[in-house]
Amino acid sequence: MFERFTKDARAVVLGAVDHAERLHAETVEEQHVLLALLDREASRASFALMSLGLAERKESVEQALAEARRRGGLSRADTDALSGLGIDVSEIVSRVEEAHGEGALRSGRTGAGRGRGWWSGLVGGHRPFAQGAKDLLTESLRMALAQRDRYIGDEHLLLALAARPGVPAEVLADHGVTYASLRRVLYGGGEAKAG
Amino acid sequence: MTEATDLAERAGDRDPRIGLRAVSALRRLLEQLEAVQVRSARNQGWSWQEIAAELGVSRQAVHKKYGRQ
Repeated sequence: MFERFTKDARAVVLGAVDHAERLHAETVEEQHVLLALLDREASRASFALMSLGLAERKESVEQALAEARRRGGLSRADTDALSGLGIDVSEIVSRVEEAHGEGALRSGRTGAGRGRGWWSGLVGGHRPFAQGAKDLLTESLRMALAQRDRYIGDEHLLLALAARPGVPAEVLADHGVTYASLRRVLYGGGEAKAG
Repeated sequence: MTEATDLAERAGDRDPRIGLRAVSALRRLLEQLEAVQVRSARNQGWSWQEIAAELGVSRQAVHKKYGRQ
């Protein structure tokens, strides 16, 4: 499958591995893919992000992702749902950090998927992809197929990120980047539906 | 106005999606908290057996989950 990845898409996957290493994450996660997408220049994804005004707000996205990491990877929708139960996540985070140091909740286990898959030929190395990140790569293939593209580009990775619920999509949406807005800048009308 | 808001809130409470998401989020939070506490206990020299006893699980279970760290 990875032979269908464009040079830019491969660079994003490799970049995600680098970000995971830099952040001392046990696994490569979707947030690392987003960070790698922000690094791209002159690619289809970077064009789309630039059109939506994200180029100047890169730091703000990085900050929002860092905040989510500090909350143990919980999205705002997660923390809202928990506050409905009377659980104050920020309170828990600050108590845990008081006792165990800043960022203590950050480096928990995130459920690596088992075994090696087609993506391992793409990246090599020994840091496994978290299940969510594997699903993201599969979703990017679906995005390409839905668009009848014969390749998987970094724009398909970006579309897949925006389409899947979770922290990256939430952070992107907070910065005006949604699945719909991406389709609009990438494909114009956006009448084609992704499966 | 307030009556309508209250009603909307109460209806929201019964929305299974919110409830299920809360459970799922709580489970992830629990996993993170467990990892923090196990790491801390290990750093303080606790044995796997002692940690397992406090968590109410088998020694094998806790070692399998965290042993390689």
